Amino acid sequence: MDKTTHFGYKQVAESEKAAKVAEVFHSVAAQYDLMNDLMSAGLHRLWKRFAVAQAGLRPGMKVLDVAGGTADLTRLFLKEVGETGTVLLTDINFSMLREGRDRMLNEGWTPPTVQCDGERLPFPDNYFNCVSVAFGLRNMTHKDQALAEMNRVLKPGGRLLVLEFSKVWKPLEPAYDLYSFKLLPLMGKLIARDAASYQYLAESIRMHPGQEELKTMMETAGFAKVSYHNLTAGVVALHKGFKV
Amino acid sequence: MISPGLITAALIERSLNHLLLQSPGATEALRRHAGRSVRFDLTLAQYDCRIADDGCFSEAVVDAPDAIIRPTPALVARLPFFGREALRHAEYSGDPALLATLDRVFKQLNWDVEADLAPLVGDIAAHRLHALGRDTLAGIAHTFSAFGRNASEYMVEEAELMARGVDVARFNHAVDVLADDAARLDARLRLLESRQPLQDAHPRIA
Repeated sequence: MDKTTHFGYKQVAESEKAAKVAEVFHSVAAQYDLMNDLMSAGLHRLWKRFAVAQAGLRPGMKVLDVAGGTADLTRLFLKEVGETGTVLLTDINFSMLREGRDRMLNEGWTPPTVQCDGERLPFPDNYFNCVSVAFGLRNMTHKDQALAEMNRVLKPGGRLLVLEFSKVWKPLEPAYDLYSFKLLPLMGKLIARDAASYQYLAESIRMHPGQEELKTMMETAGFAKVSYHNLTAGVVALHKGFKV
Repeated sequence: MISPGLITAALIERSLNHLLLQSPGATEALRRHAGRSVRFDLTLAQYDCRIADDGCFSEAVVDAPDAIIRPTPALVARLPFFGREALRHAEYSGDPALLATLDRVFKQLNWDVEADLAPLVGDIAAHRLHALGRDTLAGIAHTFSAFGRNASEYMVEEAELMARGVDVARFNHAVDVLADDAARLDARLRLLESRQPLQDAHPRIA
């Protein structure tokens, strides 16, 4: 029998999770950025800028944006690496990738975009100076395998940035739960006309490893000097690790 | 747990590299030491980095650094504003060749404020803002210096709470003279005391 994994609070066969996640993102892709702005009151832009500031990028560097979706991070990375650098936008979901690619084209950027699975990256070993995954690791079936792949494609000394929802500060949990399970699906229903996808978002956040667990996972995957920083009282955490 | 090191490390890396890229010849000099590791020991935290192929500093995992620099937190806080002036007071240890290069590079670091402001506000406004900032800082420094001089003058001349340096020196000199005189008197008294028994042994004949 096929192994099971979580899809939100449900248990599904591992082989089915990717397709179910794909359904969610096909459904929300068109309204993704608008919903992000509404759900986070624009804070996601600051979280992403903070992540990019931790990347230590300079002109000429090579960056891989895994699960980059609508290219928010890719566009910020492009400004850092300049014309001599390379930023690769990847996502497993074509709808999201198309949104990201079109946005970049509209703004005059033409970076390569690759549709690929974060758990099987089609890139050589020791190639990138920096790999980022923002709000994507949560949706991957085998997070340990994805982290190992990111470690493989990084150059020695390169850094991985994981920006992801995390465990919120305990006193804020009741308010955060109310917001996540009542308000988010309602906003999803009214704006994206898809309450179920935003219900999944809230559930998948609860199922995602907390700050310390993710740190341990990164260390197990071979990263050194792993540290994290809580943003907005732990609603989101940025983890940083180095390949040695 | 919050990791304060994440922000500090990023701030140091960005500030240092920004200064390096603005200082002519700095990255070229460091490029010769590409791959070598440097530790900035900030007392409360350590920032480990490696010199990258482009001559900039890149945060890294380092066990045994080739060079260690110990700037005090006060010097680090001054870094974005004073550049070389801040780092010249740091302690250096490790590989002499690398340290010599680092010392030379840090001494030539310079923050080109005008160049950073220009993309935001335009060349002319950037030049004027820089000049205004420089004059304001100089004015503030002059004001504090004048205030200090006035305060010391009041305390010395008016309130007589403090003595002037020349008076203190004169007093110290007088104390030295007095101490010498006392010592001489003491020696003389000892000498006289030591002669007393001799006089007692030969009383005068009336």
